[in-house]
Amino acid sequence: MNEFLSFALTYLPYLLQGALVTVEIAVIGVIFGSILGLLVGLGRVSKNPLLSQLSKFFIWVIRGTPLLLQLFVIHFAIPSVFSSLTMPPFVSACIALSINAAAYIAEIARGAIQSIDKGQMEAARSLGLSSSQSMRRVIIPQAFRRMLPPLGNEFIALIKESSLVSTIALYDLLRTGQQIISSTYRYMEIFFLVGLIYLLLTTVMSFIIGKIEKKVGAYE
Amino acid sequence: MISCKNVVKTFNHLEVLKGIDLDVASGEVVVIIGPSGSGKSTFLRCMNCLEVADSGTITVNGKTVESKESSLNKLRQDIGMVFQQFNLFPHRTVIGNIMEAPVLLKKVTKDQAKEKGMELLKKVGLEDKVDEFPNRLSGGQKQRVAIARALAMEPKIMLFDEPTSALDPELVGEVLAVMKQLAKEGMTMVVVTHEMGFAKEVADRVIFMDGGYIVEQGSPEEIFGQPKHERTKEFLGHLK
Ligand SMILES: Nc1ncnc2c1ncn2[C@@H]1O[C@H](COP(=O)(O)OP(=O)(O)O)[C@@H](O)[C@H]1O
Ligand SMILES: [Mg+2]
Repeated sequence: MNEFLSFALTYLPYLLQGALVTVEIAVIGVIFGSILGLLVGLGRVSKNPLLSQLSKFFIWVIRGTPLLLQLFVIHFAIPSVFSSLTMPPFVSACIALSINAAAYIAEIARGAIQSIDKGQMEAARSLGLSSSQSMRRVIIPQAFRRMLPPLGNEFIALIKESSLVSTIALYDLLRTGQQIISSTYRYMEIFFLVGLIYLLLTTVMSFIIGKIEKKVGAYE
Repeated sequence: MISCKNVVKTFNHLEVLKGIDLDVASGEVVVIIGPSGSGKSTFLRCMNCLEVADSGTITVNGKTVESKESSLNKLRQDIGMVFQQFNLFPHRTVIGNIMEAPVLLKKVTKDQAKEKGMELLKKVGLEDKVDEFPNRLSGGQKQRVAIARALAMEPKIMLFDEPTSALDPELVGEVLAVMKQLAKEGMTMVVVTHEMGFAKEVADRVIFMDGGYIVEQGSPEEIFGQPKHERTKEFLGHLK
């Protein structure tokens, strides 16, 4: 036991550094994914047929193909044709995760927007607000609050799925663990520690999300 | 003030309004009664283009209502609407609900809008609820805030679609009182309601709608005292 503890303490700083990378790409993914996802979600509910079809197509492609493939396309396939689009693994990882999250968040946004009572839009329009003003000032703020719980789940999923970036030589939590294993051959201990840190991250996140939810749900 | 000519509205093959004519004069209070499903709400909603009529013309203040977005937004600023379900914005406080449209659409500062909002809240008797969120209000209070919100745009016409139908009976009076006050001040009003007492007391004209037509109209004395049509008699009989 003592032996394990001193082993763990030796490598924990490296693993935590990897965990930081994991959190960074998950946070960036959920932020840009939310912005892009909200736009795509709005496109999806738009009356403009071109916008709504385009959004639908984007969602269909991204949700219907594996994240790992999307990561390879962005990091390997595209630069192999356009060499100027070669990017460091961190950037590729953030782009792939953002785009992937956006497709899921777009559906979350669409559901939330459509769940807002029709009377809200009518009240806003009857006061003279334009349809975009009504969206911005009345519908989206309410929809956003309803998006928070599923958005939290999406963030937690992203923390876990981000482990796929270890395949493009980005030293996230999982890849850092593998690297340590390659010199120590201590599979059991390292994967145990890696799992523990993932579990810690997701548990803390669920807790924080729960708190936020309570706070913003207060007026309903 | 409002002039409707031969207004027709169809919802997927169901003809809901079958050619309606109505003129409302400035300062007039018109009450529309009629059985559920007769097209009262649809007619009211055509007046501010929440529903677009299939044919016929609607003129408000001499301007023909057209479905062009920009002119529509302008037109709606002159027509306040109060809904059966209140439709307050739940994410805004009472004063936030009232200030929203004036701050966005009128050239007023936040302070001016707030001052005006406070005045309106006093008028509807809710000055102590300024910073409450709607979910903390009773139905009657919600509806009074909704009336204040509509008045904040200083409309020339107010449309009411069954404003008291969603309220507990003991809360109806406080809303009707605000509406009576408005009528007394000379507001042009079109009110769909089942409150016959209100109609008798306040209406300049009562309109009975049934099956997408205006069946009969006249002064409250005429409609309630000597209804001419069978359908009107039957409907009024049901209410008693
Ligand atoms: N958006 C809509 N789509 C389809 N049918 C509708 C819609 N709105 C109203 N209707 C129908 O139109 C008829 C008249 O409705 P409405 O104007 O609400 O009547 P009232 O207000 O007199 O009860 C009803 O049969 C109703 O089902
Ligand atoms: Mg109705």
